[in-house]
Amino acid sequence: MKPLNQKADRVLKAAAEDKMDEVRAMQTVTAGCATTFDPGWEVDPFGSVAALCQPMEADLYGCSDPCWWPAQVPDTMVVHPDWDANATSAARDWRALGSVFPGDSNT
Amino acid sequence: MIPIPHSGPTPARLLLTAAALALSAAAPALAQDAGLLAKACGDCHTAAADGSLSRISGQRKTPEGWLMTIVRMRQSHGADIDRATEAELVRHLADTQGLAPSEAAPYRYALEKDPNAIEGFDEPLGTMCARCHTGARVLLQHRTPEEWRTLIDFHVGQFPTIEYQALGRDREWYKIASTEVTDYLAAGQPLETEAWTAWQAADKPAVAGDWVVLTTLPDAGQAYGRLTVTGDASPYQVAGSLTLADGSNRPVTGQMNLYTGYEWRATLDIGGQSYRQVLALDGAGGIDGRQFLVAQDSLGGRLTGVRADAGARVLGTVPEAVAGLSGAVQVVGAGLDGLTVAGATAEGLQANDFGATVTLGAEAQGLATLSAGDSSVGVALYTAPDRLTVEPEFTIARVGGGSDNGPAAVPAHFSAVGWLNGPDGAAGTEDDIRIGSLSAEWSTSDANETAAMMQDAAYAGTLDPNGLFTPAVAGPNAERPFSTNNAGDLTITAKAGGLEASGRLIVTVQRFIDPPLR
Repeated sequence: MKPLNQKADRVLKAAAEDKMDEVRAMQTVTAGCATTFDPGWEVDPFGSVAALCQPMEADLYGCSDPCWWPAQVPDTMVVHPDWDANATSAARDWRALGSVFPGDSNT
Repeated sequence: MIPIPHSGPTPARLLLTAAALALSAAAPALAQDAGLLAKACGDCHTAAADGSLSRISGQRKTPEGWLMTIVRMRQSHGADIDRATEAELVRHLADTQGLAPSEAAPYRYALEKDPNAIEGFDEPLGTMCARCHTGARVLLQHRTPEEWRTLIDFHVGQFPTIEYQALGRDREWYKIASTEVTDYLAAGQPLETEAWTAWQAADKPAVAGDWVVLTTLPDAGQAYGRLTVTGDASPYQVAGSLTLADGSNRPVTGQMNLYTGYEWRATLDIGGQSYRQVLALDGAGGIDGRQFLVAQDSLGGRLTGVRADAGARVLGTVPEAVAGLSGAVQVVGAGLDGLTVAGATAEGLQANDFGATVTLGAEAQGLATLSAGDSSVGVALYTAPDRLTVEPEFTIARVGGGSDNGPAAVPAHFSAVGWLNGPDGAAGTEDDIRIGSLSAEWSTSDANETAAMMQDAAYAGTLDPNGLFTPAVAGPNAERPFSTNNAGDLTITAKAGGLEASGRLIVTVQRFIDPPLR
């Protein structure tokens, strides 16, 4: 197996040095972003955006339904079942998808 | 890497201590206002003989933490709590079950919504908690061991797929979460701490009175002024004005809530724009935190302040540095009659309502140190910067808008910061002198080959002459390959005085959950 990028190369080296416990599937992004890339919400496995699922509206519900990014995207499985009630197709109806934290609740 | 406070008693000993103290300590505070909690929360949360309520009594958190809990009770459990009651509950809970200043201090960046903060937590926190939300959101809480354990099970119930996401499915997630992580948090973030006990007993700093403040406004740069706080309980009234570097003024008026004796939360109109202040009183007559636009919380700046009657303290100068080797500055602070200046000549010191004015001079480029009481600030005197940096070096912006319902775009603001090499003449060493923000010529470009192929710089947004990046509209863009969003990976370049520097900006998609603690 040949590594395709620097990160994969480092993973191979870690395995050779018996340091796989130190390998984390994480990205360095600003605080509050999802840092795993399974896929990521803000950044892709390479720390950029080209390999994100884009446009994100194309398969948004395939990931929001099973609460894939529970801190960034409302999950319709448990917490916000009506979030997409007015947007049957995210790609077509994305303008109906709003933010769920109430704007008039503040400290 | 942000250090995580984790010292003191062994986990096992602390588990027992915290459990034993949990109910006894919370009970007196709750008893004082048991009616409020019992009425709003008692339908679901059962009361013990001592008046403590299930779940609630075993936790301490910030005002924002309690607010998020109450909002979740409304949204997920149908709690019938109106906004006025919500505000009362947050006040009561933050006052009686809040955090000591030292407990919140390491994680204030999350309260302040600092758009450029980057966390780096050691295990087990990094891959368990901070992969979805800030680690700060966790570490701004203190709980009994039972409450930390319950929080794990809450996550499983609330987010059932948590165990088959990356870093869930590939290890014994539940076992690690319910043992290793629970023990870690119970030991490091126990309900009862010496800091909280001491803070509850301590005299709290006075907030009413005149404050001298120094900040930056996203559209106007440095601003200083006086804010007068009146009233004897929250909400306090705040009024005053801010003066810009060009001498013009912006009136300030609004309200401020004070939580836990030191958490200052104000909503203010400043020259027609609505701002939030998330500040902390330091107990020595000072305030510190971040001020940002309500509508665009990524835009704002640090704010420092001192009570006008607090004694000698210097906050900074306007302008930040002296261009040329001589010039007048407004020194912002209090009690500056005895201001001392080292590293430059100082003439015409004249105290005023905001500190003092003084003319600084030097024969060569260098650093002047202005001191008052125990405080001091550095002011560069320069003719030409030796190097330039872009701040922040890395950040994100988010596409947005384009609809009445969707999240607004999240802009990013860059500064070109000038530096002198300092006495050693070498760049990037400890004696480098920070000049401050300089006017620059700004541009964006594609950060890499893939970005160039996708023409990210052409689609992701625009950068204005002040370094303010405004992202493009949300939604699929039919003009782009695959109708991809207006996301992009950009290099941000500043040029000033023959120097050049760059930063990196990821323009990404909107977030649909945007609570006070992300």
